[in-house]
Amino acid sequence: MKYFVTIGDREVEVEVDRERVTVAGRSFAATLGVLPGAPVRLLTLDGATAALPCEPLSAGRWRLGWHGEQVEADVMDERTRHIRSLTVRSGAAAGPATLRAPMPGLVVRLAVEVGQQIGAGAGVVVLEAMKMENELKASGPGVVRAVLVQTGQAVEKGQALVEFGPSADP
Amino acid sequence: MKRVLVANRGEIALRIIRACHEEGLEAVAVYSAVDRLSPHVRAADHAVPIGPPSPTESYLNIPRLIEAAAASGADAVHPGYGFLSERAAFAEAVEAAELVWIGPPPAAIRAMGDKTEARRRMAAAGVPIVPGATAPVTDPDAALAMAREIGFPVMVKAAAGGGGKGMRVVREENELAGALATAASEAGKSFGDPSVYLERYIERPRHIEIQVLADAERTVHLGERECSIQRRHQKLVEEAPSVAVSEELREWMGASAVAAAEAVQYRGAGTCEFLLAADGSYYFLEMNTRIQVEHPVTELVYGVDLVREQLRIARGLPMRVPNVWLHPRGAAIECRITSEDPAQGFLPATGRIAYLRAPAGPGVRWDGGIEVGNEVTLYYDSMLAKLIVWAPDRPQAITRMARALDELVIVGLPTNQGFHRRLMADPAFQAGEIDIQLLERRPDLASPDADEAAVLHVAIAAALAEDERRRQRRPAVSADDARAGEWGRAARQEAVQ
Repeated sequence: MKYFVTIGDREVEVEVDRERVTVAGRSFAATLGVLPGAPVRLLTLDGATAALPCEPLSAGRWRLGWHGEQVEADVMDERTRHIRSLTVRSGAAAGPATLRAPMPGLVVRLAVEVGQQIGAGAGVVVLEAMKMENELKASGPGVVRAVLVQTGQAVEKGQALVEFGPSADP
Repeated sequence: MKRVLVANRGEIALRIIRACHEEGLEAVAVYSAVDRLSPHVRAADHAVPIGPPSPTESYLNIPRLIEAAAASGADAVHPGYGFLSERAAFAEAVEAAELVWIGPPPAAIRAMGDKTEARRRMAAAGVPIVPGATAPVTDPDAALAMAREIGFPVMVKAAAGGGGKGMRVVREENELAGALATAASEAGKSFGDPSVYLERYIERPRHIEIQVLADAERTVHLGERECSIQRRHQKLVEEAPSVAVSEELREWMGASAVAAAEAVQYRGAGTCEFLLAADGSYYFLEMNTRIQVEHPVTELVYGVDLVREQLRIARGLPMRVPNVWLHPRGAAIECRITSEDPAQGFLPATGRIAYLRAPAGPGVRWDGGIEVGNEVTLYYDSMLAKLIVWAPDRPQAITRMARALDELVIVGLPTNQGFHRRLMADPAFQAGEIDIQLLERRPDLASPDADEAAVLHVAIAAALAEDERRRQRRPAVSADDARAGEWGRAARQEAVQ
């Protein structure tokens, strides 16, 4: 079975045939041993060993570890990859820019209000996490379209905080 | 003294409980609702609940802690670091309840806790201080006049501060007002006192601190720790001794630290923090009137158990540090393992520890407060554990740390383990060419390496894992079973667990 593994902006083709894998034109005898009760696997490639954390996230999506770094990998077979390439939306129709919480935390200050014109790098929201205040800044100039949170509110990682429109917005 | 209440959590609570047991003392743990089954609770002989997860309602709640001491029959209190460790009011409340306070006298905490007052006293005691104002400032116009007098860049610091909270560097005049407001707000939240002051910001200094220990008879220093590897004023790596401190400089700085401690009639373990400039001049920053996170590196090179000595001194016994000229032996390094997401600018991350393998082997010490199953929440500090190594010299300590970091496995949340690995492999770090701005100049140390080997290994492992998952979903036929062999059976076994 041929798999396409996406890691960040890289795509790697891995052919798996029982206990052989072929990748980048090289073929290896490969095993992925299980440590009972631990989300860690022992990968062997022609006898070379590497232990690495390996957790399923959702169908085809895995979180692995490499030397203490978390890496997420999307694994697709040829058919799924083809279907996905047809259905993926084009990136051109970008909506308004949204400032999202980079971490879970508490909104301690809001420096903007709806309709306000702001410059690139202007402070927008101050988020407190683990006793540190972190000022989130605007990535570019724009107009505040919506403020989606309130001071004192606890927010999750990735939660939308403030929406922006282009400066020339009528 | 028979039973010590440990008014803290995490790794330092466990560290203190271990010292209590080694000194033949019983230990009482306190815990908030989320820490009910924590390692420190299980290690103790008694445990008392002190309230909800929020620190202000539990670990910072003085009346609850005093009640807990009474309820558990404790006769002494050790505050650890952070939380109430540098609150004179807590030390006084402990003493008012006729309990032994394992720390310096409340008057010494108060004297050093007010950073502006401390600077005045230290200057009077002949300890060199950073040029700057000694009075708190709130008014932006007054601050601007003051900053012009000191000269930019200036540092805005919390008068009651520590640990990087309420600190801001200001390089331009127009940044001053914003920095004052943020620092004051952070200071108010972290320390209950919004006062801030200004001082000259010294470019590219090293952070060198001196450990002191004082009993009723004498005050000694146990050399320096270098803590220059910092991000946003938070220490990440500490070592002892420092490559920048000669035998002679150690005696000068040691004498200054002893003078600082004696000026406030210090008792127990404390640390004087200094900035060491490139020209060898050094300036007193502040004294931390408690045990510090990085105390183990000193313990390893001086052969002294600082927490056990704290307990002895509190009992009125003489410290076991010999009254001779002391020298550091070998080299020790500590890496703070914190939960943080490198992909998100190293902001704190939360999650559940799904798996933990702590390093072991020669010269390795693991001071951790985490276990499999623990939730890492936003209520407390993001430090998960400290990995400490000792070796006969610094190069060997670095390779030993690299080896120990290779052994460390934490699954369930992102950590700064990769950063530490890159640092140990970095030529500048290996050469000891470090200062407190190193990480600002070297963003490459913060970003994960994306080498080809890493990508290919991860891709192969992911493809094999996905392939295995798909095969397991199909109904098993006996021929498949025979072919899949040991690993396949083990995988299925795991899948049904």
